[in-house]
Order: sequence, then structure tokens, then C-alpha cells
Amino acid sequence: MLDIFLGCLLIAAAIFNLIAAIGLLRLPDVYTRMHAASKAGTFGSGLMLVTIAIHAGEINIASRALAGVAFFLLTAPISAHLLARAAYVAGIEPWSGTVRDDLKGHYKDKQGHLSSDEE
Amino acid sequence: MNKIFLINVLLAFTWCAVQGSFTFINLIFGFFISSAALWLIREQFGTSKYFNRTWLILGLIVLFLKELFMSVLRVAWLVLKPGQSYKPSFISFPLTVDAPHEITLLANLITLTPGTLSVDVSDDNKTLYIHCIDVDDVEALRKDIAEGFERKILEALR
Amino acid sequence: MTPQEFFELSIYISFGLTIIAFLFTILRLILGTTLADRILSLDMLVTLGIGFIAIFTLHTGFYAYLDMAIALGLVGFLATVAFARLLMHRGETNDTPAGDKLEDIEDGDGSQEVKTSGGTN
Repeated sequence: MLDIFLGCLLIAAAIFNLIAAIGLLRLPDVYTRMHAASKAGTFGSGLMLVTIAIHAGEINIASRALAGVAFFLLTAPISAHLLARAAYVAGIEPWSGTVRDDLKGHYKDKQGHLSSDEE
Repeated sequence: MNKIFLINVLLAFTWCAVQGSFTFINLIFGFFISSAALWLIREQFGTSKYFNRTWLILGLIVLFLKELFMSVLRVAWLVLKPGQSYKPSFISFPLTVDAPHEITLLANLITLTPGTLSVDVSDDNKTLYIHCIDVDDVEALRKDIAEGFERKILEALR
Repeated sequence: MTPQEFFELSIYISFGLTIIAFLFTILRLILGTTLADRILSLDMLVTLGIGFIAIFTLHTGFYAYLDMAIALGLVGFLATVAFARLLMHRGETNDTPAGDKLEDIEDGDGSQEVKTSGGTN
């Protein structure tokens, strides 16, 4: 019973990883692709580590796997934020279908200093 | 608040010392027993705030996991649906939280929730810029974040 | 089919799906169009590599591979941070040889021109 559940969990995780890769290929610009990579990708690989944690059934292995999950959940948003910011400062144009752009003109220089709305 | 947590950990170690086994499971068990002991004296020594806050933080974690799952499903649908009819946009979000660690937490939570990704915080810590993958009503989204995560963070950390 | 056999089969299926995901990501790495896309695909390759190691750990039952996955995650995160900095400061570093910098500071007027390099966090 547990094996069937874990097998389904593993396949679901692999499907999420595949969706992240398809999103990387299909979505129109780097900012939207970032959504696919940072959410579906992290979730897929995290779910695989959770599968290991349940499958092992030993506390030392489970704690290591769950520490890995916590670590990925902490670092994935940070790398996505850094990459999005760097891409915007470097002047990579958003997709032509972008509806509104509040960031436009708010970067004061190429060092990434950013002014707020109220100024 | 941190002092009570330290007392809790200290009591857990005391439990392990009395039991004579410092295994991980025994430490966890001791932690629960000592927190039960602290809960018993909540009215005399005023530890009830500690428990309230623990519940709020646990609630924040549960909310976060739920939102993460929803966001993955939403991204999956956006990726797999035919045609390229997304409405991505960069929007600004006026921050109520001002401490650096609260802003970090809010930005990380926003990145892993449905259709939003935090791009940058302005130099004066007043505006958070978010990239949304598919948004119709900007005001509704701002309201969602302000009344969802931001309020919960304020409740849990202050 | 016994549960044990189903689990074995699911491991092979997820191996296959992850390999397809690898191929798609490498296709994006080749197509690129911008440097940011390529950095993003490298980041995604690291994430998929972690998943692949996780499945391999289940396949062999040898849990020491788990440490490898965590270490790969650490290194991959640092690599993405470094690449993001590269993207931001590409071709406009203000690093001048030590001798030139000293002259600029002594100059008085020239010191106004020198911008702080790497002043971002």
C-alpha cells in the first residue's frame, strides 16, 4: 500500500519537473519562464526528496532529506529574485504582451538602485 | 519570547539526561513533554503568548504549503493550455511591514505563491515590485497579498 | 502486479520523464536568445539533477547519494547567484589596475569620476 502511494508520488513529482521543462520551452519571455522553473521545478524535486524521506523510514535519513527540502524552498525564491532583477537591470525586454510595467523608469542606474512609487 | 523557547529546549535536554538517552526521537518527545509543562503554567507565568505565537507560525507554514501547491497547479495549467494568452505584468506593492527580515519573508512567500514572483525592493524599503504571470485585476491581487500573507506575518512576528 | 513491482516501475517511469525534461531544458539552453534564459536553464538543470539523484537513490537504496543531492543544491544556488551578478555587471566593471586607482584618488577631481564598484548587495 505504501509502495503504491510512494510510486504515485514519485511519478507526480517527475510530471511536475517535466511541466517545468515544458514551461521553460513554451513560455514567451525570461520572466514568465522563471515562474515555471522556480515553482514547478522546486516543487517536483522537493517532492522526490519527500518520497525518499518516507521510503527510508529512518529518522537520520528522513531528517537529511527534509533539511534538503527546506533548503530548496529557501534558496529557490532568492535565486529567482536575483535573476529577475539582474535581467531587468541588464535591459532584457519583457514580452511584447506584457500588460503593465510599474518598474519602468524606476531603476536609477545600472547598479540596481531602485526608487519607490512615492518619490 | 525566545527565553521561553530556550527554557523549553533546556527542559527537553533535562528530560534526556534523566532518561539517560540522547537519541533524536527522545529529544523530540522531551520537547513535547516540556511544552506541555509550560502550557500547564500558562496562567501563573504568562506563557500563553508563546503558545499563541507558535500556533500562528504553524498556521503560516500550513498556509504557505497550501499556496505552494495551488501555485504549482496554476503554473502547470498555464504551461499546458493551448495558445499563448497570458497577461504578464510588473506591478508595485506598497509595503506595510518594514523590518528587513519581515520583508525577506514576505518576498520569499510571494515568490512561491500563485502566479507571482518578487523582483526587487526599492532602496527605501517601501515598495515591493512583483512580476505576475497572468493577472486581470491588479487591485484585487494587492488586496489578497495585504490581507493574506502580510497580515499573517505581522500577527506571527510581532 | 505487486506493490513492490509497481514501485520499481514508477522509478523507471520517473527516470524517463526526468530525462525528457533534461532534453527540453538543454534545448532552451541552446536556443537561448538571451543570457538570462541560458542562466535560467542552467539553474533548471541543477534542479533536475537533484531530482535525478533522488530517483537514483531510491533505485539503488544507497542513501549516501542524498548528501550529493544536497551538496549539488548548495553549489547550484551559488552558481546562479554568481551568474546573476555577471549578468548585471557585464562589461561595465569599474575595476582599474591598482596604480590607476591610486592616481585617481590623489587627483582630487578624478575621484569624483570613480564610481563604487560592486556597490549592490
